[in-house]
Amino acid sequence: MPPGLAASLIDALGPDAVKTEPEDLAVYGYDADTAEAEHLPDAAVIPKDARDVCAAVRIAKAHGVPIVPRGAGTGLCGGAVPVAGGVVITFSRMNRILELDVPNRRARVQAGLINLDLSRATATHGLFYAPDPSSQKISTIGGNVGTNAGGPHCLSYGTTTNHVLGIEFVDESGELVRTSLDDPGYDLTGALVGSEGTLGVVTGVDVRLMRLPESVRVCVAAFESVEAASETVSAIIGAGIIATALEIIDKVMVEAIEANYHAGYPTGAGAVLLVEVAGYTEEMNHNESAIAEIARRHGALSWTAARDAAQREALWAARKGAAGAVGRISPNYYIQDACVPRTRLPQALHAIDEIALDHRLIVGNVFHAGDGNLHPLLMFDRRDPRQIQAVVDAGTEILRTCIDMGGTISGEHGIGYEKRETLSMVYNTADLATMGRIRDVLDPSRCFNPNKIFPTGAICGEVKTSVA
Amino acid sequence: MLGGGTLQGLGNPPARCDVTISTAKLNTVIEYDPRDLTIALGAGVTLRSLAATLAKHGQFVPIDAPHPDRATIGGTLAAGWIGPRRATYGRPRDYVIGTTAALADGTLSSAGGMVVKNVTGYDVSKLFVGSLGTLGALVRVNLKALPAPQTMRVAIASLPELTRERALEHIAALSVEPTAMLFVRGFHREIDGSDGLDGRLFVLYEGSQAVVDRATRELRSALGAAGVPGTSILDSNAQRAYQRTIDACTSSIAQRSLTLRSQGLPDNALVRYATMESIAEEHHLALDVIVDARTGDVFARFLASGAEAMPYVAEELVDGARERLSGLVVIAGDARVRASIDAWGPPPASFEKLRALKERFDPRGTLAPGRLVGGI
Repeated sequence: MPPGLAASLIDALGPDAVKTEPEDLAVYGYDADTAEAEHLPDAAVIPKDARDVCAAVRIAKAHGVPIVPRGAGTGLCGGAVPVAGGVVITFSRMNRILELDVPNRRARVQAGLINLDLSRATATHGLFYAPDPSSQKISTIGGNVGTNAGGPHCLSYGTTTNHVLGIEFVDESGELVRTSLDDPGYDLTGALVGSEGTLGVVTGVDVRLMRLPESVRVCVAAFESVEAASETVSAIIGAGIIATALEIIDKVMVEAIEANYHAGYPTGAGAVLLVEVAGYTEEMNHNESAIAEIARRHGALSWTAARDAAQREALWAARKGAAGAVGRISPNYYIQDACVPRTRLPQALHAIDEIALDHRLIVGNVFHAGDGNLHPLLMFDRRDPRQIQAVVDAGTEILRTCIDMGGTISGEHGIGYEKRETLSMVYNTADLATMGRIRDVLDPSRCFNPNKIFPTGAICGEVKTSVA
Repeated sequence: MLGGGTLQGLGNPPARCDVTISTAKLNTVIEYDPRDLTIALGAGVTLRSLAATLAKHGQFVPIDAPHPDRATIGGTLAAGWIGPRRATYGRPRDYVIGTTAALADGTLSSAGGMVVKNVTGYDVSKLFVGSLGTLGALVRVNLKALPAPQTMRVAIASLPELTRERALEHIAALSVEPTAMLFVRGFHREIDGSDGLDGRLFVLYEGSQAVVDRATRELRSALGAAGVPGTSILDSNAQRAYQRTIDACTSSIAQRSLTLRSQGLPDNALVRYATMESIAEEHHLALDVIVDARTGDVFARFLASGAEAMPYVAEELVDGARERLSGLVVIAGDARVRASIDAWGPPPASFEKLRALKERFDPRGTLAPGRLVGGI
């Protein structure tokens, strides 16, 4: 650690807000990615407000160390891991709703507010915050902004970027900057969402709230195979029927989920399709029967609607906790995130199966089918080096396959540290250079979350990844 | 850069213009598989042609800009146009899933793709939307589409001043939300029918027949309870009636008019409208106004009685209005009327970043110089 860093941080933020002991720092060396290596920061700070964040950024800059913002650490690709050391800024004390404007359906929140807490706080007013990543019980709005988090309900409500109206962030000179979608000029708000903490430190977010739907129904259908379930999804989309969520869970994952949560998913089938329809009652009823009919035509073995709100919640809780159930199958898993055009789903799933088979790996699939957003979980045992290599190779092959189908390498988890070398599979040098220009403006010294998103080797000299 | 030329009155004129690049021939659908609900287009495709292509497959993209027969998708996005239906569907930018742009150094740069969820590097497309061509020229645009609503209906009711606030409150409490809701006063020439002095409410509903029917029943009783006289219903002409109100937003009358848009919170839109009214009175100008009750936009067209007056009062009018209302931009008016005024007003708090982006993307100031806020 550079001399004086800890003392300056303590001086500015107070002793309670600064951690420098290795045992305190260990927790900041990981996120939810499966990567084995841990990278300890030099220090971690827990600011109480945006001014503290400004001070931390200035001090880190003055000492020439990286600044790594961190939400709840639920990221799946090492985005919040301080791979080059430096100061981790964590937001557990900045977790409040600052303003709730019910008539105008907006809220101003601190970056550390837990996603689900916002919808809980607004429900009594008949409103909710739509983006609901599976991690929503612990992940923060600030972290969601960093990765442009998605979730099962993107199908009808869109991703985080569609719900962010403005951002307050600390720039590379340690100044607080506020953006708004209503400002004239370039859409800085839109550029910051999904930038994974590489353009500044988000301290506050203005979000759009939506009216809670009048009626909601959740149904599950069993299918012979994952391909049959995904053909059904393609047919539903193709028929122009609006569902709020269309999720597929394959046999491997259904067995694990049911054993863990007993939520009421049909076991024994090749795949389960989870359908949510919501909205005005008349439309919801109509859409449900239209979807059920399509499912039957595509060979659904069963169709069951959740009896009540409690069972609906149970089905969703189990779906969102799917990854947590993998422990029943395998000591370790690696979750991949890729997206393909919706019509390519059946082929993509077939290809994933073949790739897993080639590498002698068990694969489970639980994914946002309505968006073409795949999440194959590759099961492995960390103690076996062959399996580790097989997972890495299979993961890359899956991404390559999805790109070849007109898809991309991340739908909602981001690129982070783990996938940065694959970014050049999607974009050419000129495309990456344009991103580099944005970074040149907002983070010329590359102090914010270095070694993330962009490939090493400085494509074309524009995309630098070293810290000045 | 020139698309359909329908939003030329928005923003400042370029400080200099030696070459105009038209997107007229970039007018083809590049990729469209209806089953994917995504479409890739040349930037010069008109909104009408886009709508027609999608309608064949029962789909649409909710972008409501003036004059869709001429407005292009590239131009509409570059101009950052946002219409009333964004209250329901989100902004046009939310439907952009990828772009290709020609940059000032002559390179082509792509971002995003043909998938509806994508977090791979920066969302560069967002910067081109609303940039008025100052960072690069949109060449190709990829959009996500939606299944088209089964029914579209417009309900029109005369709204005397005393009933206005109460009527809007009642409608906000209904179980079915209007897709868009506009209060229009004036614009007699642009929008069918005369409305006397009261002003009219245009309520747009989109959805299934059953829901739209329920909405209409609710609306009638809510308006009745608020003391509003009869409501007329348009079904087959709904699209045309709605489009006319959108067209009116940017319509100008020779050198006699100037249109300002005030953006703000929906719950104080009527207050901002009242402020516009007093400003018009102070300057002895007539006023046509559209209040978008769901998004909070207020479109105010100030109209001078003589042909010579407006160019002289424009500067004082806009400066005075900006003292009382924030978020005020000029969106339409004859070039001579706009000559003395800054369309954008004071730059936003983040302006230093915007200026630096312009500098980094276009260091020589080749692209549409001075068109955007703060002279960028």
